[in-house]
Amino acid sequence: MKQILCILFLLWGISASSQCVFNESHVISPGGTYSPGQTITVWYTLGAFNAINTNWIHAFQINLGVGWTNLTPLSGPANPSGSLGNWTWDLQHTFIGGLNFGPGWRFENTVNTDWGTSSVGPFIISFQVTVDSVCTAEDLSISIEVFDDCTTGGWSNGACCVDPAYNIYNGIIQITPTITSNINHF
Amino acid sequence: MKKLITILFICFGLASYGQTTINPDTVCANAVGEQYFVTNTPTSTYNWTITGGGGALQTGQGTNSITVDWGGVTGLYPNAVEVIESNAAGCPGAPVLLDVFVLLLSGNNIGPFCVGDPTTALVGNPAGGTWSGTGVAANAFQPSVGVGNYVLTYTMAGCNTTINVTVNNGPVTGPIQHF
Repeated sequence: MKQILCILFLLWGISASSQCVFNESHVISPGGTYSPGQTITVWYTLGAFNAINTNWIHAFQINLGVGWTNLTPLSGPANPSGSLGNWTWDLQHTFIGGLNFGPGWRFENTVNTDWGTSSVGPFIISFQVTVDSVCTAEDLSISIEVFDDCTTGGWSNGACCVDPAYNIYNGIIQITPTITSNINHF
Repeated sequence: MKKLITILFICFGLASYGQTTINPDTVCANAVGEQYFVTNTPTSTYNWTITGGGGALQTGQGTNSITVDWGGVTGLYPNAVEVIESNAAGCPGAPVLLDVFVLLLSGNNIGPFCVGDPTTALVGNPAGGTWSGTGVAANAFQPSVGVGNYVLTYTMAGCNTTINVTVNNGPVTGPIQHF
């Protein structure tokens, strides 16, 4: 009896919190710490998306710390062997399930507007972002979140994908202190 | 070798950032065009503030070097000169301050003298300065220097003031006559 309960619990656990994203990686250029005004380029790759419960991939959200500004998309994801539709860059969008999304790319399915794409990848996105010209050491974190159309509310067939945000960078703005010499008098 | 390098480094540091103006700075009353400066960073801007001492910023606001005209009221004026540097991003640094002592000198009026009068002490205010001029020795005036008008100078901390002193002829008395 215990063994059966254990197996059921294990199956329930897999179903309730399944990982759908695999083989995430990134390149960030230049690497290292960043100062006000500096612009960087980020390439993010999602190697594969496992559409568990037929939950299709629906959006890539870019999460930025407050120290970043001027986010500029360079290239959106492709849609290999995917549904009809296209990836759209959006600063903000509210999905049918109420999820407040953005900025990032979201898939606009031309057959069913609330669904994602059946493509399993790979997906590559790239963007540029600039360190804000501020005087305080603001947060410069960068992460990517991948949403499935279960999470966005367009599809219901069991538990949604549960994937943590993929961390690309953690750090703060490097502020060079302004040091003034003493006052001299001729 | 390490000691030598350390000493050189310290000396270089002092030469680059050491303050050559002692705080408080001393300026002469009613001085004009006094120049103040900090080490320049080309991409920075500098905001200067002059407070007290009758001081008025004349030129150079925004740069690392300014000129100031000072008033005539003697006294110590804390934080009379202030500068805040902002870097290229507009981020301000800590204020840098300088106290200023405005020095107003005066000297006692003496004379007129006759040639035969005794040596008279010269008094300057504030005390501690040095008197100079014709007929002056050891901060005292000697009328025996002879008939004439003399300008005597009192000097302290790079400031000076003058007084005028006159030495007259004594009366010339003829021989005693008997009617």
